[in-house]
Amino acid sequence: MDEITTAHQEKTTRQLVMVSSLCLVTLIFAVISMGTGSSETLDMTSTMRIIFGIDNPTKLQSDIIWRLRFPRVLMAIIAGTALATAGALMQGCLGNPLVSPLTLGVASGAALGAAFAIILDFSVIPNVAIVANAFLFSLLVVGIIIQLGSMRSVSAESYILVGIAITFIAGAIVSTLTYFATDAQLSQLTHWSFGSLSRPTLEDTIWIGATVLCLIPMSLIFAWDLNAMSLGGDDFAISTGVDPQITRRNILILSALLTSVVISFTGLIGFVGLAAPHMSRLIIGNDYRKLIPCSAVSGSLLMLFADTVGRTLFSPIVIPVGIMLSIIGGPVFMYLLMRHRGVVM
Amino acid sequence: MSILNPEKSLSKESNDEIVRVSNLRFSWGEKIVLQDISFSINSGQIVAILGKNGAGKTTLIKCLNGIQKPKVGKVEVCSKDISEQSLLELSKLVSYVPQSVRTSFPMDVFDVLMLGRRPHVSWRTSPEDLETVSDTLRQFGLQDLAFRRFNRLSGGERQRAIIAKAVVQNPRIYLLDEPTSDLDLQHQLLIMEKVTDIIKNSGGQKSAIFAIHDINMAARFSDRVILLHEGEILADGTPSKVITQDNIATVFGVDSEITLSSAGSRMNIIIGERLKKGDRENE
Repeated sequence: MDEITTAHQEKTTRQLVMVSSLCLVTLIFAVISMGTGSSETLDMTSTMRIIFGIDNPTKLQSDIIWRLRFPRVLMAIIAGTALATAGALMQGCLGNPLVSPLTLGVASGAALGAAFAIILDFSVIPNVAIVANAFLFSLLVVGIIIQLGSMRSVSAESYILVGIAITFIAGAIVSTLTYFATDAQLSQLTHWSFGSLSRPTLEDTIWIGATVLCLIPMSLIFAWDLNAMSLGGDDFAISTGVDPQITRRNILILSALLTSVVISFTGLIGFVGLAAPHMSRLIIGNDYRKLIPCSAVSGSLLMLFADTVGRTLFSPIVIPVGIMLSIIGGPVFMYLLMRHRGVVM
Repeated sequence: MSILNPEKSLSKESNDEIVRVSNLRFSWGEKIVLQDISFSINSGQIVAILGKNGAGKTTLIKCLNGIQKPKVGKVEVCSKDISEQSLLELSKLVSYVPQSVRTSFPMDVFDVLMLGRRPHVSWRTSPEDLETVSDTLRQFGLQDLAFRRFNRLSGGERQRAIIAKAVVQNPRIYLLDEPTSDLDLQHQLLIMEKVTDIIKNSGGQKSAIFAIHDINMAARFSDRVILLHEGEILADGTPSKVITQDNIATVFGVDSEITLSSAGSRMNIIIGERLKKGDRENE
C-alpha cells in the first residue's frame, strides 16, 4: 500500500475515533443530565446509584427519573440529531452555508398551525390540537416544496426564496392573529415559540425517535450525491451521474420531514440546525459520508448541553432549550469560526 | 491491474462511432445558439472545437453530456440516445470537465478525485478505488496536495484536480471545456499530453472532445478540428484542413500566418493584426 492510501486511511481512522469519542461524550453527558434537576431527594449521586441499580428508588424517584428526566434527555438527543442532520442536508443540497432547517419555512408553517390552534381554537384533532396543527401545517409547506420541485429547472436559490416568502406570509398571518388574541393565548403562543423539550411525553418521544431513526439512514443514501452537489454545483453533479433537480427535491422533502416531526412537538428550535453542521464541518470536513453522522452526534450533544444548563442555571426555573441553545451555542459557534480564522468552509 | 488501463483485447472494437450528433438545434428563448449541428466521432479520435466567444462551444459540449437538453435533434453516445439514458449510466461513458468549479463546501483533493468513482460504486469504496485515486493523483503531480482543501488550491491546481477526477471516472469520452485556460505554459502541455496519452493508450476505446481558444494547442493536440461560427459548423476536418488563414479571418477576425515546423509535422499559427471591417473584401 502506498503513502497516499495509507495517509487517507489514517485520516479516516482519526475521523472515526473523533466521532466515536463525540458519541461517548454525548452518552456520558446524557447520564449526567439525568442526575440534574430540581428534586431535592435526587441529586447527582443518588440518581447515579438508582440508574446503575445500586439503590432501590421510591415510586416518586422512579417516576421522576424514568417519566420526567429520561424522556427529556431522550428527546434532546432525538431533536438534536434530527435538526442537525436536516441542517447539514439542506446546506449541502442548496449549496449555501447560511441555510438552516428554518429556511424552508417548515417551522413558520408549524408556528402558523400552532397559532390557529391556540388563538382560533381551530384544530384537526382537538385533543392534541397544537401538535396536530403544527405538524399538518408544516406538511403543507412540504407540499409546496414538492410542488416547486416538480417544476422544470428550479434553482437552489428558488427554494430559499420561496422559503423566505413562506416565512413572511406565515409570520404576517400569525401577527394578525396575535392582534386579536387574549393575553392568555398570547402567552401560550409565545411559550410555544420558545421551543421546549418538556412537552413531548415518553410515548411521543418514542414515536418521534422511531421516525427519525427511519429517516437518518435514508439521508446517508444521499451522501455521495450531496458531495457532488456541494462541491461543484449542478453541472458538476450531472457529470458525476447525479440528477440535481430530483436529488435536491428528495433531500429537501427528507429534511423538511425531519424538521417538522420534531418542532411540531417541541416548538421552535433553530440554532442547532445551523451550528451543529458547521461545527462538524470544522471537525471532520465536508465529506457527507462522515459529516451526516458527525452532525447528528454533535447536534444531540449541543442540545443536551443547552438543556442541562437551562435546567440548572436558575433552578427550579427552567429556561427553554430554544433560548439556551442560542445563548450558549452562539458564542461557542463564533469562537470556533474565529479560531479557524473565519473560514467556515 | 489498474482500472484505468483496459486490456488491449478490447481494441478490436476500436474506431467504432462513439458519438453521433444529428440536426442538433439549441436556443435560449429567441436566441439561437446552435443550429443544424451534425457530426459523428469515432472512438480513438481527439477533437478540438474552435470558435470565438459565444459561438456555442460550451453549449455544444454540455449537450453531449445531458447538462443542456437540445430543443431539436438527437445526441447518441455509444449508439444510445442520451435522452433515453439515466444520468448515472451516461456518467459511466462520458465525463465532463467544466471550465471552472465554484465550490460551496470544499473537500480534500483526495475526496474530489474519489467523486469520480461515484458512478461505479454503490456506497462503499474498495481498496482498488483508493489505489486508482492515489495513482491518478501522482500522474497529475497532485500527490503533495492530496489532503489540502480544494478551495486552498490555485486556479491551475483546481483545474488539474477536476481533470484528474474525470480520469478517475474512467469514461469512454472526455468532454473538456477550456481545459488549459487557468494553466501556465508547462501545465498546459502537461494536461494536454496526459489527456492525449490516455486516449492514445486506450487501444482506440476512448475519445476526447475539447473546446479551446488557443489555436496552436488545437492544432498540436487534436487530430480533428470542428470550427464553430455563429452556431453552425463552418469547417470540420484535420487541423491542417480546417485551420487556414481564411477560416481564422472569418471566425476570429484576425490576420494570421501559418507555417510548418522544421520537422514538417507541427503547425505554427502566428496571429497578426486585428482585421477591420472591409479588409477582407479589399484583399
